[in-house]
Amino acid sequence: MFAFFSSCRKDIQNVETPESYIGGSFNEVFDAFWDGMNNNYVFWDIDTTNWDNMYKIYKPLFAKLDITKTDDVQKSVQYFRAMTDGLVDSHYNLSFGSPISDSSVSPSYDRKLKAGILRPNYVFYQYDANYYLDSPYVSGIDSVNLLDGSATEAIAGTIGGNILYLGFNQFNLKNSYTGADNGVKTVMQFFLNYLSNPPSGFKGVIIDVRGNGGGDISDLNFLVGNLINNKLTIGHTRYKSGNGRLDYTPWAPAIVTPQTGAKAVTVPVVVLTDIWTTSMAELTAMAVHALPNGNGHTVGETTWGATGPLTNNEILNGGQFTAANFLFAYTSSSMFKYIDGNIYEGKGFPPDDYVPFNLNDFQTYGDKQLEKALTLMP
Amino acid sequence: MKIYNRFPVFFAAITFFCSICFAQTSIAQLSIGVEGGYNKNYLVTNNANRSFTNYMPMNGFNIGIPIQYQIADWFAVEADPVYIEKNYSQQRSAFFVGVYQENKNSYVQLPLMGHFMFGGKKLKGFLNTGVYGGYWLTGNVNGVMPNILDINDSKNSGTTIYDYENSYSYNEKYTFDKRKDNRIEAGWIGGLGLSYEINDRYQVFTEGRLLYSFTDQQKKYMVDQIPRYNTTYGLNAGILIHFNNAKTNY
Repeated sequence: MFAFFSSCRKDIQNVETPESYIGGSFNEVFDAFWDGMNNNYVFWDIDTTNWDNMYKIYKPLFAKLDITKTDDVQKSVQYFRAMTDGLVDSHYNLSFGSPISDSSVSPSYDRKLKAGILRPNYVFYQYDANYYLDSPYVSGIDSVNLLDGSATEAIAGTIGGNILYLGFNQFNLKNSYTGADNGVKTVMQFFLNYLSNPPSGFKGVIIDVRGNGGGDISDLNFLVGNLINNKLTIGHTRYKSGNGRLDYTPWAPAIVTPQTGAKAVTVPVVVLTDIWTTSMAELTAMAVHALPNGNGHTVGETTWGATGPLTNNEILNGGQFTAANFLFAYTSSSMFKYIDGNIYEGKGFPPDDYVPFNLNDFQTYGDKQLEKALTLMP
Repeated sequence: MKIYNRFPVFFAAITFFCSICFAQTSIAQLSIGVEGGYNKNYLVTNNANRSFTNYMPMNGFNIGIPIQYQIADWFAVEADPVYIEKNYSQQRSAFFVGVYQENKNSYVQLPLMGHFMFGGKKLKGFLNTGVYGGYWLTGNVNGVMPNILDINDSKNSGTTIYDYENSYSYNEKYTFDKRKDNRIEAGWIGGLGLSYEINDRYQVFTEGRLLYSFTDQQKKYMVDQIPRYNTTYGLNAGILIHFNNAKTNY
């Protein structure tokens, strides 16, 4: 009778991790990658990619490839690019091992390139320091506490004596600040001291995250937590709760916690953003925009659109994975919904005041985005 | 010739049908009652690819109104509309200990069973077997999970994930997703129990039951979908009240 009962259920097949595939053939590579995405990608709820269709189209194509032939290995990158070109996750990146280790697939980059909205990535703090900041300003580099192998640069100073400015290339500020003496620590000491003891006539704060690719999430408290004196909810996150594409945990509040001794900043706080403002830099802009006194503004361009935090796959049972020793899929571990109820993944966070960057105008007239921010100061 | 050869079979069939009819008219008895009990539900699926993550069974309860129509002294048909919880949890272990989610799901379902009785006049054993159809009425999820965007600045070392990240506790109504959730459930049901006739009017019983769903909790919405089935073991007790108990002889 039990056998009869059991026969009415579908077989429950084994579920392997994408890492457990050896990758002896492209059949295995495809299965590892397709299943890895099927089970670990966190945006299926809002993504328009028909992943089942990708299975139907590309499984037979991969089956024809020979993993021992370099031409076929190179061709596989085209297939991976085509399979993923519509993915909304703007952190998403595929990187490969030898012999195609110089190849990568970034759907959001490709989309922006195709749309003609990409330009070289500039950082502006050095220019602004030279042309706008009062002298002397503080600048520094931390070459010891690296973020993914990159040194952190930062500049802080004042404009007109009573507007505080901070610009930096990546989020690793807390690590620099708490680490041994380094240039970024000096910059942050200046910035935090100024916030703690602002001069009379303090007009506002400008945080420049243009060209900033993001970084350590603990900087959200470290930076924005110095602008508030009560917890600030800026949105919600959720993760995968199972292997199904639509299996999600409930939404958990995304909270910025004030730093010890921090005072609520009531003067305008303006974050400068551009198309290269990515990940933690976007979250920072969104957090400032949500400041409780309504004194947070964003100026510049719509951000990149990579808002879902990342961590190792096993932490939240989703996100990045390695498929069959062939490729690494760098992808968000959680979905972020802003406090206004919108998910800006793949879209980018639009500025309150849109001031597009134009290289000729910049070279001729200066930093119009910064100048717009200055007009918002009382 | 052929007609004669078939006659005994035809005659036997008529005889059997008549005996059933006679039995029905002589023993026919409608009984209605109440029952309730506890159950333990197992979610049958596969998540072997998830680190330190397991589905665990959970207890629930059920209440029902058994309706029995006895048509022979050894056989009755039974319908048993019931409200039943089918709960399960997902728990993580080792470094992730303390991360869990309890899914509490309630169903209304209607089993239709054959009720086979054996044994003495007062104390009887019985076997139920049949099928059921149900509807996933409500869901509730509660649990604790790490909150990646609620960083605790003082946490940076320890042996569990909550030594590094703040936890988020939740207890909320489950929001059904029409794209994914299959709210119709059907399956096999079987039970083994004992009943005791207190008098002509009342009977008490206790029964162990197995509900074995053969429908996936999910609609077919993705290739390589891993099914999820409920298997529920229950222990019930109840009382039946016999109606139109007077036996008629023809």
